Amino acid sequence: MTESDDLRRFEILVIPHLDAAYNLARWLTRNDQDAQDVVQDASMRAMRYFGGFRGDQARAWWLQIVRHTCYAWLKENRPAEVVAFDDGEDAWRELAAPAADEPHAIAVRNADRAQINQAIAALPIAYREVLVLRELEDLPYKDIARIADIPVGTVMSRLARARGLLRQALLHGARPVLRTVARSTPGGVK
Amino acid sequence: MAPELDTRQLNAFIDGELDLHSQLEIEARLVHDAGLRTQVEALRGLRQVVMRHADYHAAPAALRARIEALGAPPASAPAPTPRGPSAWPAAVQRWFAWRPLVASFGVLAVLTVALNLALLQSGRDEALGQEVIASHVRATLTQHLVDVASSDHHTVKPWLSARLDFSPPVPELNLPGSTFLGGRVDYLDGRPVAVLVYRQGAHIVNSFVWPGAGDSRIAFVSQRGFHLAHWSRGGMTHWVVSDVSPDEFATVVHAIDHADESH
Repeated sequence: MTESDDLRRFEILVIPHLDAAYNLARWLTRNDQDAQDVVQDASMRAMRYFGGFRGDQARAWWLQIVRHTCYAWLKENRPAEVVAFDDGEDAWRELAAPAADEPHAIAVRNADRAQINQAIAALPIAYREVLVLRELEDLPYKDIARIADIPVGTVMSRLARARGLLRQALLHGARPVLRTVARSTPGGVK
Repeated sequence: MAPELDTRQLNAFIDGELDLHSQLEIEARLVHDAGLRTQVEALRGLRQVVMRHADYHAAPAALRARIEALGAPPASAPAPTPRGPSAWPAAVQRWFAWRPLVASFGVLAVLTVALNLALLQSGRDEALGQEVIASHVRATLTQHLVDVASSDHHTVKPWLSARLDFSPPVPELNLPGSTFLGGRVDYLDGRPVAVLVYRQGAHIVNSFVWPGAGDSRIAFVSQRGFHLAHWSRGGMTHWVVSDVSPDEFATVVHAIDHADESH
């Protein structure tokens, strides 16, 4: 029966969260084909690891596998992107609190789709992943902590910094001069 | 003077991730502190912008098909190609003479298993029905009907999704005399489930949803004066319970089922 149990688990645990898995992989690899390969690979891993699933939080468990597969893939194919990340306890302090002036808020609010996508894609991967999991998957901190394999306190700091960096990027993007961000995007990330 | 708040706390605040005490404290400060209010609004604005405009990459159909195929049961062994009986050695032919008997044993075994499964299933449904009624009664007695009170399903759905490992359908029922009260999270059938709460006239209707495989038609049961309905569709199991009149109950159940279809 174990084999059919596994198939059933696959149907219940993995298939319903396929969009979430692909969305995460797509934002981490920044490429359609790579994301597809990663998700397919992760699905096969998930089937092998069902034994390790304890029956709670299917989505977090599965996204943890997807993220792990992404990192393994990036390490092999684009090692420069996953250099050991040390943000230090206080990195988030370097950014000023959200400026409390109205023009800035308006600039952020008026950012268009392309600007926002570019700004997120340009974030270092450790910030990008917490941001995507929080804003696009609407996950609570404890799930993000589990998926990204970091303490909840680190989720807090990274998210604060991710939003700070994003905000800065959008403010610069709103100015007429587009800088490096614009140059690196048209061909997609190679 | 209250201590200075750092951006980490502000971020956690807009995410609803601070402990209740700090959460309420900041809310109280917001009333008087215009500077803080602007900061919080700026953060919320940024979050809104990202949620609304950043690309959400849904799995492409081809990938979905490939992965669903991974999860499909392995194809059964191919049927032997038919050959003339003379091609077989005598022993095999003798064995085949037993085939009808073997087949009937097979059918009997399958029927026995199916019957057992059916009995097991109905026992399970009964136990689940008890759990559903218990949850309904508990919620009504303690007046703790909803964790998130809102008549807007756009508020309730993300709230529930954030606390569960699935995203439940949150239908709006366009029924006369029906009000959507909100949702809560409960624990049922060994897992956290979503509960949507409606008021139908003077009665409370609790609608439970969680992921489940299979498709089944709506089954109605009455136990101890409560009416229950359950069905599975589109990967979700539904249980609805209330003490409204049977006619009204059927109307509500069908409204939930149909509203679900259109989502």
